Amino acid sequence: MDLNRRAFIATLGGTAAVAMMDSEAKADALEHYMEEQLDEQVAAAQGQPEKFPTVADIEAQIETRNYRRGVGSLFVSTRGNVKKLEPMPKNPTLQDFFRLRFAPANHVLQSATRAMKTGMTEEVILACLLHDCVLNLIKPDHGWWGAQLFEPYIPEKSTFAIRYHQTLRFYPDAEAGYEYPDLYYRFFGEDYKPPQHIEATYKMLRNHKWYMEPRLVTVNDLYAFDPNAKVSLDPFEDIIGRHFKTPKEGLGNDNSPSAHMWRTLANPDAPL
Amino acid sequence: MRLSSITAVLSVCMAATAVMQTKPTNYKGLEITPLGIERAKNVALGDCPPGANTVRGNALDGTEFAVVTLGFKVTPAFDAKTIVKKPVLTDASGKTFQTSASIIDAGSVPEYKCTFPFRVPTGTKIASVSIDTATINVAALDK
Repeated sequence: MDLNRRAFIATLGGTAAVAMMDSEAKADALEHYMEEQLDEQVAAAQGQPEKFPTVADIEAQIETRNYRRGVGSLFVSTRGNVKKLEPMPKNPTLQDFFRLRFAPANHVLQSATRAMKTGMTEEVILACLLHDCVLNLIKPDHGWWGAQLFEPYIPEKSTFAIRYHQTLRFYPDAEAGYEYPDLYYRFFGEDYKPPQHIEATYKMLRNHKWYMEPRLVTVNDLYAFDPNAKVSLDPFEDIIGRHFKTPKEGLGNDNSPSAHMWRTLANPDAPL
Repeated sequence: MRLSSITAVLSVCMAATAVMQTKPTNYKGLEITPLGIERAKNVALGDCPPGANTVRGNALDGTEFAVVTLGFKVTPAFDAKTIVKKPVLTDASGKTFQTSASIIDAGSVPEYKCTFPFRVPTGTKIASVSIDTATINVAALDK
């Protein structure tokens, strides 16, 4: 069986993440990856469409894990033990968080790179860059949590885009270039129906003058899962400089409404 | 004229039309050739030139993807800074459809093929694909 080394490393979060894994964790991850690949290849060879789980199948997996699916990525390792994190500088900036807590951040960097290359506005590019960073803290309702995390520091349109991309990802919009991804059949179940509050939010957004801001985040979202893409934060330094109001005390030290969230990201090993 | 002769003439005309459809269209120094149309319910979502994006998209009930494959050749006349707009599909009745795929850095590779999925009502007959001012007749490829 051929192994696509780059794709495998990408599934683990990139070379930096792999470097932090011990040998046993790497072996487990490789075995798991090869099993998945083999199943896909066998199904493809037999001409079978991929079988997606149902909502009930996904619920049945809950008691097979020793963690909740919604826990932030910084707080759990599904492959071996977590590693000691490098401390944050005294007055941490967004760039410091990207380097020390969000890394490798391939997905958001790819998403923002695409937004930039397709000529989107700086508010949308910034929203793409930040839209999933909060997944390191918490996963459920990540649009709302993410918007809350960044709201004191970024333009209102970018906050709006981050908050509501979570809703719009469930609703295809061919005019805008957004299709329903099969990734969500795997995550949520093929028979998943968004809850009532998401339906209501969607109806509100369809008539909102800023509908396209979160919609464009979802459009770039789908095209930002390329394991071979080479991305960095460098092209976004100017946009961050223009639109991200970095507090002089550093993120977490500025007494903003979300300072506590930044402190939690900075110190995820604190017991209380 | 006997029926067999008419059939032969029509066959020659149709073959000639099909050949004409596959001739490249020049758009600002980018030669674009239509290569095929396929129908699918589930498609790979990737930009153009193609990378290794792993996400796939699904057609909803009553719809399907008309997947148009275009070949691109970059000629010396193409300015690498040119932003090439997304293709737009027009069906036989004149209705237009958008694709989710974008053309990004069109001059980064000398020659490449790209597939553009357009979600359309099942059974829609395809007429043409346009990229900005260039219109490419693909009706003959829609079988």
